[in-house]
Amino acid sequence: MIAIDYIVEGLKEAIKLLIGFDQEIYEIIFLSLFISTSATIIASIIFIPIGIHLGIKEFKRKRALSRMLYTFMSIPSVVVGLLVAIILSRRGPLGKFDLMYTPKAMIIAQTLLVTPLILGLTYSLAKNRGKEIESIGKTLGAGRKDIILLIIKELKIDLIVNVVTAFSRAISEVGAVMIVGGNIRRKTRVITTTISLMKSMGDYPMAIALGIVLLFISFLVNSIIYKYTGED
Amino acid sequence: MYIKIEGLKKYYSDKLILDIERLEIEEGRITGLIGPNGSGKTTLMRIISGLDLDFTGNIEYNHSPLNEDIYKKMTLVTQKPYLFRRRVYENIEFPLKVRRIDKGIRRKKVEEIMERFQIEDLKNKKGHLLSGGESQKVSLARALVFEPELLLLDEPTSNIDPESMKIMESQIIRFNEETKGTVLIVTHNIEQAKRLCDRIIHLDWGKVIS
Repeated sequence: MIAIDYIVEGLKEAIKLLIGFDQEIYEIIFLSLFISTSATIIASIIFIPIGIHLGIKEFKRKRALSRMLYTFMSIPSVVVGLLVAIILSRRGPLGKFDLMYTPKAMIIAQTLLVTPLILGLTYSLAKNRGKEIESIGKTLGAGRKDIILLIIKELKIDLIVNVVTAFSRAISEVGAVMIVGGNIRRKTRVITTTISLMKSMGDYPMAIALGIVLLFISFLVNSIIYKYTGED
Repeated sequence: MYIKIEGLKKYYSDKLILDIERLEIEEGRITGLIGPNGSGKTTLMRIISGLDLDFTGNIEYNHSPLNEDIYKKMTLVTQKPYLFRRRVYENIEFPLKVRRIDKGIRRKKVEEIMERFQIEDLKNKKGHLLSGGESQKVSLARALVFEPELLLLDEPTSNIDPESMKIMESQIIRFNEETKGTVLIVTHNIEQAKRLCDRIIHLDWGKVIS
């Protein structure tokens, strides 16, 4: 009974924080959305066309590429975080830009994290369904650029689902942003890193409030997927 | 467009499926390609259209090998056409758009060909939601709208009603007469071949029989 009261109290406090427009909570939410959205957009703009090109093109070692892409799709976020931290740290190759523990570093890390997902899913989609569209485009006189644009338009529903999947991965990861962002209050603190910290500090209302927000974002993301795929 | 094929061989899993010593498709004429299922008709069409480049031998288009310029001058309509997930108008407009033709001219040409095919009522329907017969008509209209020099038709009138077939056949003949475009048509319908073609090629077991 005491345990349930404890959770209910936490929940009440969390709702109070949310409807009271607690400034810190909303800063955290907006920073999370900004970082994950930026990373997903950057990776999508660059790697959707590349994924389509690789998917429809026949070349040697295409199988090896498939295997490599699918392996990287499940790369642990802490590994990406570690890699970016090594590159951006003072002694690293990009240390002179002083990006460590900034939102920019977090965007770089999440972009790297979602890139294999965007690339792999797009590649697989284009490999299975892009060929037919490519053939039709060719017979109607379309050049390489027109064919890639045509495939993007024809497969846009599936591509949107892929992009949303990548965004879900970015917004819910904790390892990479924790390592390169440092979880600095009012600077690099995002939803997942705050939940982790608040839990360790025993501040459950804040953790629960952000948990609710994360669940709401997840619900929104799934609603978008269902809207486009027409599932119930 | 004049086509000359010499020493064409196509293998599929070590099996020879096409073996054409010499074949010429005359410019500005309608040539029929007939033969039983599996005789290599569709494979030959895909090779001529440039979709299948995995063969040995030589094919010349107006005395030149296949190049980007020739790609843009020919088209292939298949038995099960793929229409884009966009309006019928936009489907037909596509080949003109990729050729960077002015928007005003595009609209005029698309509307004109839709009227000729009597498909104005389909203008705003989504291409991928059309019936088989409607798709075949739209697909042929899309192929003819840019007046190709070589029109490759792989059973373009299968599974459609007699009235639609009549419209499609008359448009193929009109295209050939007005533009002097070369037409190569695969058909199982001997009567149709007789109605449309100046010359008929009989293919069997991957070889030209007559």
